[in-house]
Amino acid sequence: MQPSSPLPLVFDDEGKDVTPHPLFHSDPDTAVPRQAKLLASSDYSGGVLSSFPMHQTGGDGSFVEPFSRRTCGNSSISKPNASTMEFMLDEIVEPGSQGDTAVSLSDVQVRQEETEEQLTEEDLDRRVDIYLTETETIWMLDMPSVVASVESEDAGRILERNKIYVDICKNRPGNDRFVEKMMQTINGAAKNKEVQCDKIVMEDKGMVVTSWDLYDSFNVSETEPTSKGEATNGKSSTSHMTKKHDQTASVTSARGNITSVTTLESAALARIHEGEKNRLEAILTSENFQQDLFFMERVLMENIFQPKLAAYRQFPVLIDPAVTSDNVSTVVAVKEAKQEEHDKGKKDKEAQKEALIDPSIPSDLNKALEETVPPSLEQLWSYTCDLTKGHNVSSMAWSKVNPDLLAVGYGAFDFKEQKKGLACCWSLKNPMWPERIFQCEHGVTALDFSMASPNLLAVGMYSGTITIYNVRSCTTTAILSSRDSSARHTGPVWQLKWLEQDRDTADDDKRERLISISADGRLTKWLIQKGLDCTDLMKIKRAGSMKKNLPCEKERKSVVLISRQAAGMCFDFHPKDTNFYLAGTEEGLIHKCSCSYDQQFLETYKGHKGPVYKVAWNPFSTDMFLSCSADWTIMLWHQNSQMPILTFSSTTTVVHDIMWSPKSVFIFAAANESRVEIWDLSVSILDPVITRFANPEAKFTSVLFAKNTDCLLVGDSRGEVSVFAPQNLAASSSTKVDALSDVISPALTT
Amino acid sequence: MTELENYLFSGIPIRTTLDNSTTVQYAGLLCQLTMKARSTVRDIDPQNDLTFLRIRSKKHEIMVAPDKEYLLIVIQNPCE
Repeated sequence: MQPSSPLPLVFDDEGKDVTPHPLFHSDPDTAVPRQAKLLASSDYSGGVLSSFPMHQTGGDGSFVEPFSRRTCGNSSISKPNASTMEFMLDEIVEPGSQGDTAVSLSDVQVRQEETEEQLTEEDLDRRVDIYLTETETIWMLDMPSVVASVESEDAGRILERNKIYVDICKNRPGNDRFVEKMMQTINGAAKNKEVQCDKIVMEDKGMVVTSWDLYDSFNVSETEPTSKGEATNGKSSTSHMTKKHDQTASVTSARGNITSVTTLESAALARIHEGEKNRLEAILTSENFQQDLFFMERVLMENIFQPKLAAYRQFPVLIDPAVTSDNVSTVVAVKEAKQEEHDKGKKDKEAQKEALIDPSIPSDLNKALEETVPPSLEQLWSYTCDLTKGHNVSSMAWSKVNPDLLAVGYGAFDFKEQKKGLACCWSLKNPMWPERIFQCEHGVTALDFSMASPNLLAVGMYSGTITIYNVRSCTTTAILSSRDSSARHTGPVWQLKWLEQDRDTADDDKRERLISISADGRLTKWLIQKGLDCTDLMKIKRAGSMKKNLPCEKERKSVVLISRQAAGMCFDFHPKDTNFYLAGTEEGLIHKCSCSYDQQFLETYKGHKGPVYKVAWNPFSTDMFLSCSADWTIMLWHQNSQMPILTFSSTTTVVHDIMWSPKSVFIFAAANESRVEIWDLSVSILDPVITRFANPEAKFTSVLFAKNTDCLLVGDSRGEVSVFAPQNLAASSSTKVDALSDVISPALTT
Repeated sequence: MTELENYLFSGIPIRTTLDNSTTVQYAGLLCQLTMKARSTVRDIDPQNDLTFLRIRSKKHEIMVAPDKEYLLIVIQNPCE
């Protein structure tokens, strides 16, 4: 605040010391003034004051005063100043100062108010004591007046001096004491000097700054600094790899600086031979690229299959408006033709009328004809690819966690047709190529996904080996195999299931076990502990010959058998109590067994005359189960009755697979060789509700209901898994436990 | 039914199933559009980034998968 050099002393004519004193003495005790403006203005005023003496003669000092007063408007010396200033004002008012001194005072007062501190609520209530004291007088400005009153003491002297001066002025013209003299100042010779400097190159650079640009600058990644540095240079930096060239190209083009892009591009092109090929290859094999390709494929599939997938999920199908109206009408016309075929046999006038309705309202048509059109299966798409052509679909299983992930096992049933098998995981998102392909040495005959560790897929093969794959990884090597196990199956594994047992005999915790049944007659339980370990749940003993003995014979003939075991074909655990299970054998017998007793069967159900290919408990009505066999029949049993309750024989071909619908207690699906049937027991127990014929070359071999929709998957011997959506199936989704027995009881009595 | 192209950011096609002139045309135009789209996405939230771009027109659908080093473009004709 103080001027750095000491102020020069200034004296006026009379020798009085009129050295201007600095206005502001910075007190170390007082707080530093908050407003920088004040400091600046006080500095300025310091400067002004030093030049003040030159303007001293002017009576008008008010132009300096406002400045000086404002600097006084400081929190530390606010109030006392008012008193001094008023005092000063009194002095200066006499010389006839102008009105703006009053203005300046009010200015100052305003200024004082502005510098008040922030008050809190408490402060307002606080009692504040204010002491008014008079400080010592600070002389800010001392302008002695040049007029004096006539009545003052000095008046005479002043008048005398004035008179002397007037006389001098009068004597001046002709007096010798005053000589006019002229002077000439010497003008030095002017010298021209020129300076020239290099042209200052001005460059305009424009940029569009976006918020992500700022973000990137602050979160610097590895490549960012180098590319940014290059951009600011704006010149091709040949020392960098061509890779970075392209990055800068991208960065700079984003910044709208086109010239540098072209220079970089030309430089890049010039270096094509050097790193280009390597870089291209690096890009093509990079992980990002693979992933991008993968996503792109999925997107393409979605585009292609969108209507089918929507129908699968039971969404309304979007008709692309961009598709020409011809196509729409042909689609509708096809639909109409199908319906007309159904209606041929009927003499319903309504149907005839509606056939003439505008073809662009297909949905209305459907609604009107719902009652008259019989249910049918519409094929949506089929999972097939080159790899799977020619293989026989032997089993299918849904993933327990992801209802859109399907595992399909390919392997032949017959001994003669054996070749290398395949297990594929198909995803709904890509019906044209499986997500995972596991090549197996032998034909796959059974598979199942685990529930506890949903990435495990157990695959059973024709050779009796059970292998477990991890579907998360893309490698095709199994993580576990029972090939080297001593207790492995010696016959084809016909069914596999992961099961969580409620109580375990040996171990205490509830772990998931893999249960398998195979043609060597053993039903085994596998544990995964450093390898596949197994314990037998049951050995299916071959029962004696089933031929009717003569009533008089009481002894059974002891038949010499090659093997005492009967080949097991299928099993199913009771949905409510996992201690019980059914096992179907090659002899046509179905045994009910218990896990806790492996010596004998609890019950045996005799009815089939050929190998039983599948047994299935009804998921709702848990006393009933269904079995299908090579003797062309499907039988419905009650667990308490040794004889089948109902027999369904609608074909003369082997029934390979059956499955109850997860939605309805009455509906089940059956795959014969030549066709797939859907039976609805509430509608008819003699005929299937829907029959769908297969292509002549193909034989349907397995069925699977979808959990989250009504669709049915059917695998055939050509390696195709077709997805069918039932149309117009009366939705009898009753799940009452007694419902089935109610329907069945009329049959029971007959 | 579908055509695949693969470009460097500098506009040089790496691999394509179309003829060169069309490829180069698509490259230039889609490159700029991708930049703009990415800039839009990131302006709204700088932590976000563009992963996929689909343009559906009367005749085709153009799908672009941008990356730091390259641009993958697929043009699909709608199939009946």
